[in-house]
Amino acid sequence: MITVDADPGPYRFDLASTALVIIDMQRDFVEPGGFGETLGNDVGQLRTVIDPLRAVLATARATGMTVVHTREGHQPDLSDCPPAKLQRGNPTLRIGDPGPKGRILIRGEYGHDIIDELAPLAGEAVIDKPGKGSFHDTSFGDLLREKGVTSLVVTGVTTEVCVHTTVREANDRGYECLVLSDCVGSYFPEFQRIGLAMIVAQGGIFGWVAPSSALLIALNLQEATP
Amino acid sequence: MTRIGPVDANPYKWPYGGSVDVTAVALICVDWQVDFCGPGGYVDRMGYDIGLTRAGLPATARLLAHARDIGMLVIHTREGHTPDLSDLPANKRWRSAQIGAEIGSVGPAGRILVRGEPGWEIVPEVAPVPGEVLIDKPGKGAFYATGLDLVLRTAGITHILLTGITTDVCVHTTMREANDRGYECLILSDCTGATDPANHAAALHMVTMQGGVFGCVAEADAVISTTVTG
Repeated sequence: MITVDADPGPYRFDLASTALVIIDMQRDFVEPGGFGETLGNDVGQLRTVIDPLRAVLATARATGMTVVHTREGHQPDLSDCPPAKLQRGNPTLRIGDPGPKGRILIRGEYGHDIIDELAPLAGEAVIDKPGKGSFHDTSFGDLLREKGVTSLVVTGVTTEVCVHTTVREANDRGYECLVLSDCVGSYFPEFQRIGLAMIVAQGGIFGWVAPSSALLIALNLQEATP
Repeated sequence: MTRIGPVDANPYKWPYGGSVDVTAVALICVDWQVDFCGPGGYVDRMGYDIGLTRAGLPATARLLAHARDIGMLVIHTREGHTPDLSDLPANKRWRSAQIGAEIGSVGPAGRILVRGEPGWEIVPEVAPVPGEVLIDKPGKGAFYATGLDLVLRTAGITHILLTGITTDVCVHTTMREANDRGYECLILSDCTGATDPANHAAALHMVTMQGGVFGCVAEADAVISTTVTG
C-alpha cells in the first residue's frame, strides 16, 4: 500500500489496482494555433501541466501502472454529436468545421490527437469519448473492471469541465480518485482553484487532491523499500 | 399548445432554436430532502448552515406550481441507500464517517441517507404529488444506476429544467450527465443552493463559459414569463 500526502487526508492505493488517467491532452486544446486558442483562450494556462505530467507518466510507466489516455471527439459524419452540443451558442468555429489543425473535434484529424510530449505507447489504452465524461458511451468502465482497477490518478484538461465530469462519474461508481493539482489545467485560474476546492469539500466529496511531487515521493519511497 | 422560450438566460437565449413545446421539457427537482435542507439531517449534522441550502425553496415552489399548471413532466430525485447499505461504495461510507455523519448511522432524522427514513423524504414545500416521477439514486448524478434516462426517453423529453441542491455537487453532476447525453439544460440559479456560497456562484459561472459548455443559467421567473399558451 502506497500513501500519498493529500488533501483532505492521506490517499492510499496499490499499484496493481490503480490507473493513471490522462484526460484530453489533445493538440486542439493545448497547442498554440489550435481550436482552443481560436476561441480566445490562453493555452499557456494549460501548457503548464505538460512537464509535471511527463514526469508522472514516465514514473507510472516505470512502475508498471495502468495508463489510460482519453480524447474528446466525434465521428466524421457527426452522428454521435448531440444537436444541443453542435448548435448552441455562437462560436466562430463549430464542431466539424475546418480548423487550423483539421476538422474541429473530429476523430482522426491531426488536432484531435494527443500532443507528442504525452503520446501513448503501444499497449496503453486510448478512450475516445463523445462527451465531457470518460464513462458515458465509452468502454472506460469495462476496461477498468477488466484490469481490476479501483483507484484513479487523474490528470489532464480542463479541470472544471472534462476532469471534473470524469471524477464525478468515477466517484459515483465507487472509484477512489486522486487529482494531481499541477497536472490538471484550466483556461481560467479562478476555475482551476475552485475546481480543486470542490473536490475536497465536505471531507473529500469527490476525492483527494495533491501535487504531483507528493505522488512521486510516495512512489520513490515504495521503490526504495524492498 | 404551450411553448417555453426564448428564456432570458446566460450565455444565450434558452433553448438553442428559440423555443420548445412543453411536452418535450422536464422539470427535475434534485434532492430537496430533509437530509440536505432540513433540521437534524445530514447537512445539518455536518455543521453547515441549512439556510443556504433552503434558499432556493420559494422560487422552486413557484416554478413547480407553474410546471403543474402547464402540464410539464415533473421528476423528483432522492439520494439514498438501501437499508442494508449494499449499494453504498466503501469510500463514500468512510468519508461520511470521517466528517462525523456516517451514512447509515442514526441521527435526529433517522438513519442518515437511508431510503424510507424521515431524513430521506422530500421537504413539504416542494413535495411530489401523485403522478410525478420519483428517481432514487445512490450517487450524486441522477443518471448513474437509475432509470432516469429511460423515463426521459420514454416521455420524449429533450429539454431539462434543473432545480435542487446542492448546486456544485448533485445538481452539477446531474447537469453534466444530462448534457453529455444530449439534453438541452437550463439551471435555475434562484432554485438552487450550496453549503458554500462561493462554490454555488462558481458552479453557476462554470455553466456559462465557452458558449454554455453545459447549457444555460436563468431565474425561475424568466421561464414563467416566457411560457406562451396558444
